[in-house]
Amino acid sequence: MEHLSIHDPPPQPGGPHPGAMMNAPPPPPQAQQLPPQMFTTAAQLLDLTDKKLLLVLRDGRKLIGILRSWDQFANLVLQSTVERVFATVPDPRDPHRRGLFADKLHGIFLVRGENVLLLGEIDLDKDDDPPVGFEKAEFGLVEKLANEQKAAEKTKETKRIKKLAALGFEGENMGEILL
Amino acid sequence: MTTGADHSVGKDFDFFGATAKVTNAMEEEHQRFNLQQQASRTVRAPVAQTYNTNYAYQPTPPAHRPARTGYEKYKEEPTELQIDASIWGVAPKKPVTPVAVSQPPATARKMMSLEEVEAAMRAEAKQAPPVSLPSQAQSQPLYHAREFQAAAEASPHSRQEKIDPIRQPIDGRHQRGFNTADYQQPAAQGITHGHPITILQRPSKHAPSTSGSVMPNPISQEQQTPPIAPTQILQNPNRSSSEGNRMGIPMHPIHKSQNSIPRGIPQQHQLSDLSEREKAAFVEAEARRAKRNHKIHLMSGNNGLMTPQDKSFITRIQLQQLVSATGDPSEQGNEAALAEDFYYQVLSSLRAGQRPNPNQPLNNFAQTYLFQTGTRRSGPRHHGPQNHVQRMEQQVQRAVEAAKNKPKNKQLVIEGSLGKISFSNAKTPKPLLNIKRTESGPETNRPASGQRTHPVSQGHNAKDTLRDIENVYLTLMKMEDLTRSMPPPNELNDQNVAEKQDEFNHLNEQLWNHLRVHEPISSTIVHPFISFMSYPKGKRAIPRVFRYLSPTQRTTILTMIVIHLDQLDVVRGAQVQTGEPISHDAATRERIELFSLAVMPSLFQLLNESDLDIVTGVLGLITQNLSVDLVARTRIGVSMLTLILSRAELIKQAGQASEQSWQQWVATFNLFFNILEPTLHNIFPGTVTSGEDIYVWQFLAAIGIGASPDEQQRLVFAVKDRVMGTVSMAKTLPPDMAKERLDNVNLFMRSIGLDVELLN
Amino acid sequence: MPDLTWTIGKRMAFFKTLIDHEVTVELKNDIQIRGTLKSVDQYLNIKLDDIQVVDELKYPHLSSVKNVFIRGSVVRYVHLPAAAVDVPLLEDATRREAANQAGKGK
Repeated sequence: MEHLSIHDPPPQPGGPHPGAMMNAPPPPPQAQQLPPQMFTTAAQLLDLTDKKLLLVLRDGRKLIGILRSWDQFANLVLQSTVERVFATVPDPRDPHRRGLFADKLHGIFLVRGENVLLLGEIDLDKDDDPPVGFEKAEFGLVEKLANEQKAAEKTKETKRIKKLAALGFEGENMGEILL
Repeated sequence: MTTGADHSVGKDFDFFGATAKVTNAMEEEHQRFNLQQQASRTVRAPVAQTYNTNYAYQPTPPAHRPARTGYEKYKEEPTELQIDASIWGVAPKKPVTPVAVSQPPATARKMMSLEEVEAAMRAEAKQAPPVSLPSQAQSQPLYHAREFQAAAEASPHSRQEKIDPIRQPIDGRHQRGFNTADYQQPAAQGITHGHPITILQRPSKHAPSTSGSVMPNPISQEQQTPPIAPTQILQNPNRSSSEGNRMGIPMHPIHKSQNSIPRGIPQQHQLSDLSEREKAAFVEAEARRAKRNHKIHLMSGNNGLMTPQDKSFITRIQLQQLVSATGDPSEQGNEAALAEDFYYQVLSSLRAGQRPNPNQPLNNFAQTYLFQTGTRRSGPRHHGPQNHVQRMEQQVQRAVEAAKNKPKNKQLVIEGSLGKISFSNAKTPKPLLNIKRTESGPETNRPASGQRTHPVSQGHNAKDTLRDIENVYLTLMKMEDLTRSMPPPNELNDQNVAEKQDEFNHLNEQLWNHLRVHEPISSTIVHPFISFMSYPKGKRAIPRVFRYLSPTQRTTILTMIVIHLDQLDVVRGAQVQTGEPISHDAATRERIELFSLAVMPSLFQLLNESDLDIVTGVLGLITQNLSVDLVARTRIGVSMLTLILSRAELIKQAGQASEQSWQQWVATFNLFFNILEPTLHNIFPGTVTSGEDIYVWQFLAAIGIGASPDEQQRLVFAVKDRVMGTVSMAKTLPPDMAKERLDNVNLFMRSIGLDVELLN
Repeated sequence: MPDLTWTIGKRMAFFKTLIDHEVTVELKNDIQIRGTLKSVDQYLNIKLDDIQVVDELKYPHLSSVKNVFIRGSVVRYVHLPAAAVDVPLLEDATRREAANQAGKGK
C-alpha cells in the first residue's frame, strides 16, 4: 500500500466545465488520491503479519513475538512471545551506567488492542545485537532492578502529577506511567 | 468471499459459504492435479520426477506448500511468484546457460543448521563452481530459474515484489488463482518444455495446449495473478496436519532454496576475480543473508494462520466504519464533499502541478476518490500497479455500497477498540486543563497580556478586528463558491443568472461591511481597516478581496491605505536612516515582506488601471496629509511612491492624459518634490556597503524621469554622495558584485541621461 | 473559531498530505520517534518507516526496530516539516469545516 504515491504524474491542466459534471465524459485524471484503505488500522497491520515484532504495552512492558493474527480493534495474537526487561545497574561512580536486559519466554499472547502503545517490526539483521550499552543478564536480576526503578519512577511521577493537578491539569493519562 | 464487484454485498461476509467452496475446490484440484501429474509423467518423466521430489506437489500434503513468509521484501528472488516479463513490457528472457550449483541436491533436502549454512557458504565461496552441466541444472531446476530471473530482471522483479504483499491480502480473487494457475503450473511446464527453466514462463500461456481438456475454462487475465495466497487458504483446513509436519522434517522449497543456494551463484564464477577483502565481504553478506533466511524459516511455520480472506474481511469492516463515520462522499453534493476533504483535495491537486485560480471551477476537486474510481475503473484489466489500484477501488466501492444499503450507524465508539476516539466527541474534547477562577476577579488570574504588538484601539479592539478578518474570509469563500457555480456568461439562463447575481451583490455588500473601510476616519483612534491590515491574514486577504470588489471599492481601499500610510505597521517604526545600520527586527521584516508580496501587487494592478486624475489625487493625499519624510524613509513607502510616479510617467508616454490633468499632475509633483528634497539624502537604508538599496534607486529613477531639468540637478546634488560612494566602493568588489551595484545606480543615472561610466 | 481538530480528524485530510514526509512523533511517555509517515488511520494511529529514536540510548528496546505502528491515543505531538504544510490553505480548510459544522448545527 505504501507504494502508492501522491506524486504520480500530474493530471492534465484545466478542469471540466462546471455545468458538465453529471453525465459528461470522465474528468481528466486528477492528482493521484490515496485510496481510503490506506487509512484503516487493518492496512497498517497487513504487512506486519507473520513478522517478528516488538510490542510496547501501556504499562511499559516490552514483548517480542511473531504477529500471527489481528482484528479491527488491533487485538493481536503473538506467537513465541518473549518478554524483555531492561534495567540499568545503579553505579554512582559510572556516568555511563551499564545497562542490562533479559528475556523470558511466554509463548502465545493475545493482547487486547487498547493496551498497545506501539509496535514495531524488528530488523532481523540487527535482531541478535544487544542494544548499545546493554548486555544480557539473568532474568531475575534484571527484573528486580527494573521493578525497583519503576517504583522509584512512579513515586516521582505521582508527585509531579499532584503538582500538576493543583495547577489545573487533568487528563486521561494522568496517573498512568507510560514507559 | 466474492470475487467480483457485482456480487451482492451480503456475500462479502459469508465465511461459511466461502469455506465450503474452498473445500470443494480443494477436492477438485486434488483430482485434477492427479490427472495432470500422470500426464506430465508420461511426457517427461525425469523432470516431473525432479519436481516431485523437490516440491511438495504431491497430492497429499498441500499444507507443505510454502506460505508467504511475510518477509518477501527481504528476498532478492521471488518465492512463489512467477514473473511474467510481459507485464513490464519486456520479453521474458530465457536464461541461457544455467550456472552450476556446487551443492548436491541432497543437501537441499534437509534443513541445515545455521553453522552448516555458513560453513557451506564459505566453502562455496572458496571453490569457484564449475560451469553448468545440464544434469546439474536439472537437479535444481526451479532454483536456477529463479536465480536467473532475479539476475536478469532485477528491477521489474523488485517492483512486482513490492506490489504483491499489498495486493494479495485484500484481494479475494486469489482464490481463483489458486484453483487454476497455481496447481496447473508444474504439470503444464512439464509437458510443454523440455527444460525445467521454462518455469519462467507464465503457466497460463501454455495452458490451453496442455490442460485444455482438464481445465475447460480458458484462463483469464485475472487468474494469472501470482498464486501466493492460496497456500494460505489450504493451511487452515489442514492446520492440524501441518502442525505435525512442522514438528518433523519437511522443508518447503523456498527455504531450501534460500538456505542451500546463496543468491550470488551466478556471480560466483567471477568471484575469483575479486580481491580477498571483497571476497570476505561477499561471504559475510551471504552469511548474514543465510542467517536471516534461517530465522525467517524458523518463523514461517505458522505463516498464513491469518488468511487473506481474514485480512480482507477486517479491512472491509474498517472501511465501513470509515464510511459511516465520514459519510459517503458520493451521496453529498460536490460542494459538501469538497468542504469535508478540502485541504487534502486541493493540496494534492496543487502538488500535482495544478494551481487553481480561485476563479476557475474548483468543482473538479470535488470529485473525491470514490467518485473518480468509478470512471477509472472501466477499461481492460491490467497487471501491475494499475490493476492493484483498481482492485482497491472496487473494494471501496463495495464498502460504500454496503454502507448505503445499511441503516446509518453513527455510533462509532466501539468498546475496547484501538482507536476509542469517538467522532461525536470531536467538538467537545475531554478537557485537559481545568483552572478554577478565584473570587478576586478576572484580572488577578489572567496573565498580563501586555505583550500585544497589534494596535488596540478603543471601540474596536483586537478581538473585533480578528472577527472581521474571519468574516471577510468566510464571505470570500462563499463568493468563490458562488463564482464557481456561476453559469458561463454567454448562457442566457436569465432567471438563474439574475438570482446568482443578486446573491453575489449581497455577498459583496457583506464583504465590504466586514472590511470596515467605510468607518469614519478619526484622528485619535486607529481606523478598523488599518487594524485589519496589521494582521498577516488581513494582509493576505487583500488579493482575494480585490477580485470581488468593484473598481470603486478597490479605489476606496487604495485611498484608505494611502491616507493611512504612515500608520501602517509596515511604515510606522520601519524608517531607515542613511548611514545607520538597518535595525528592523525579524517581525517587522516579515511584515514588510508579506506586505510586498500580498498587498503591493494588488495596489500595483489597481494603479495601472487608474487614470491620471486618481494617480494625481493619491500623490496629493500623501503630500498634503502625511509626513513625506517618514513615508519616504521606509521601503513600503518608497515602493508606493515609485508605483505612483511611474504610473504617471506611463500615462504620459501613452498620451492618455489630457493637458489639464497633466498640468495638475506636474503641479502636485513639484509640490511633492519640494517636500521630499530635504529627505532625499536620508532615504538610503544602511551604509554604502550594506546594499539592499535597489528600491531606492528605482524610486530615484521614477523621480528623475518626471523631473524638470532644475529638479534633476537638485536631485543629483541630493544623492551624489551615495552615487560616488557606491561607485568607489564597487571598485573594491569582485566584478559581478560590482556590476550589480553599478547597475542599480545606473537605474537612476540613466533616467536623467547620465551613466556611471561618465564618473570614471 | 476554526476547528482544527475536526479538520485533522475527519478523513485524516491533513495527515494524508504528509504521507511520505519525514515527521517526528512525540509520545506521551516522552519518546520521540522520527521516521517517514507511511499511514494514518481514522484513530490517528500512525505508521512510520525507517525510524530513528531521538535519544536512542534511553530507549534501548527500539534499537532493532525498523518501522513502528503507534497508537493514536499515546501521541502527544507530531512535529511537522514546515515546508509540507500550506498554512493559508489549511486556514481556509478549517474555516470551511467550521462553517460546515455551524451550518449543520442549525
